[in-house]
Amino acid sequence: MNVALAILWKDLVSEWRSRDRVMAMLVFSILVAVVFYFALPMLRPEELSALAPGLLWTAYLFSALLGLNRSFALELENDALAGLALAPGNRGWIFLGKAAANWVLISIVQILTAGVFALFYGIDLVPALPGLATVVGLGTVGICAAGTLLAPMAVRTGFREVLLPVLLLPALFPILAGAVEGSGAAVAGRPIPFAALQLLLVTDGIYLIVAFLGFDYVLDE
Amino acid sequence: MNSNPEGHGNAQASIPSRLESRASRWRRPMGYLLAALGAAYAWSVMSAPIDSTQGIIQKILYIHPPLAYGAYLGFVITGVGGVLFLARQREDLDRLAVASAEVGVIFCTLMLVTGPIWARGTWGVWWSWDARLTVTLLLWFVYLAYLLLRSFSGSSPRTARFAAIYGVVGLVLIPLNYYVIEIFGSRSMHPENLERGSLGDGMGLPFLLGNLTLALAFFYLLILRWEVEAQRRLDDASTSSGA
Repeated sequence: MNVALAILWKDLVSEWRSRDRVMAMLVFSILVAVVFYFALPMLRPEELSALAPGLLWTAYLFSALLGLNRSFALELENDALAGLALAPGNRGWIFLGKAAANWVLISIVQILTAGVFALFYGIDLVPALPGLATVVGLGTVGICAAGTLLAPMAVRTGFREVLLPVLLLPALFPILAGAVEGSGAAVAGRPIPFAALQLLLVTDGIYLIVAFLGFDYVLDE
Repeated sequence: MNSNPEGHGNAQASIPSRLESRASRWRRPMGYLLAALGAAYAWSVMSAPIDSTQGIIQKILYIHPPLAYGAYLGFVITGVGGVLFLARQREDLDRLAVASAEVGVIFCTLMLVTGPIWARGTWGVWWSWDARLTVTLLLWFVYLAYLLLRSFSGSSPRTARFAAIYGVVGLVLIPLNYYVIEIFGSRSMHPENLERGSLGDGMGLPFLLGNLTLALAFFYLLILRWEVEAQRRLDDASTSSGA
């Protein structure tokens, strides 16, 4: 447990000192929001805001991929990954620390991105906020759990930037299905369907367990 | 089956392993049986009645679902093989996992090819984002990614471990994806199931033969591919030892 907290703290401090990962993800997300506007010029504003939850999640997914890749690419420098592997105790805690740090950083970017989307696409964010925050928070747990398991594999192959999306995106379909459904309800002012929350919770739980147990084999040198 | 307790890490167990040699012995008889069954299957499909509403295109029924079963079987074997490889450090099970993923991808690809042909004939569109279709497509991507992961990271114990973990992710995704269908699948165009007497007269036999033939073809290809993988590892081992 202490290992997890130490790694969480280390990742947050190193990000605070450079702030490059959060900035890169944020700029990228805003660019995606702008790209959607140009890619869908035939839509009227109210049609765009109906699409906004789906567009928002597309931006979230791609910026998360960026951040997850970076989170382990950093550890390759000076062989830090091998150092991590030598940390005493169950490696599942290392996974939890990394995943928690990713969750915090990605969540910061998501909050700011949601603000930008609300501005661009005319969403009234304030009444939707509690529901949206719940769905986004839960969805991001799943993304971080699966991503933190798969990213260290992807960065150690010859095609690191390409491979993570190829590995991760098909695994995130249950998360995406639940998250888009839930976010759509929240933005439209409806109560969030229980099925969506249930799906997110179940998927999060399964990915957390698989990753906690499997991380041992991913980090093994 | 001995679990080879000393086989941890890189210690080379014999290639082919006992399990592999045992499986290989089954391949040739299976081939003969497959040829005979295949002929019976082809004949039964040809002589099956033509569906009164869908016409000749309905005969895809005799190949499309059996391909799907093969694909899922392949993916499950990949996942389970990977788990057992991690748990017992037996490399022959890793080779089984690769072989199974490849055969599963072939079956899944053929299913994804036959599906749209049938859909065009009966639903009027090549592709619909039907829940089951979407889930299978995503699963196909998972196993393509599995094979890419293997080919990008070369052949090493690490590759086998990575692949095994990814195979487990694929394995848990199968029920998860079906759970998604359960919740959001109201738009599904696939029938709920085929068994409840929905097959017309004379369609049961070719469907049964299709399932048997393709299941046999699956295992035949699986064992063949497994042998190839063992041979490949053997070649790698002999070149790396400088022979």
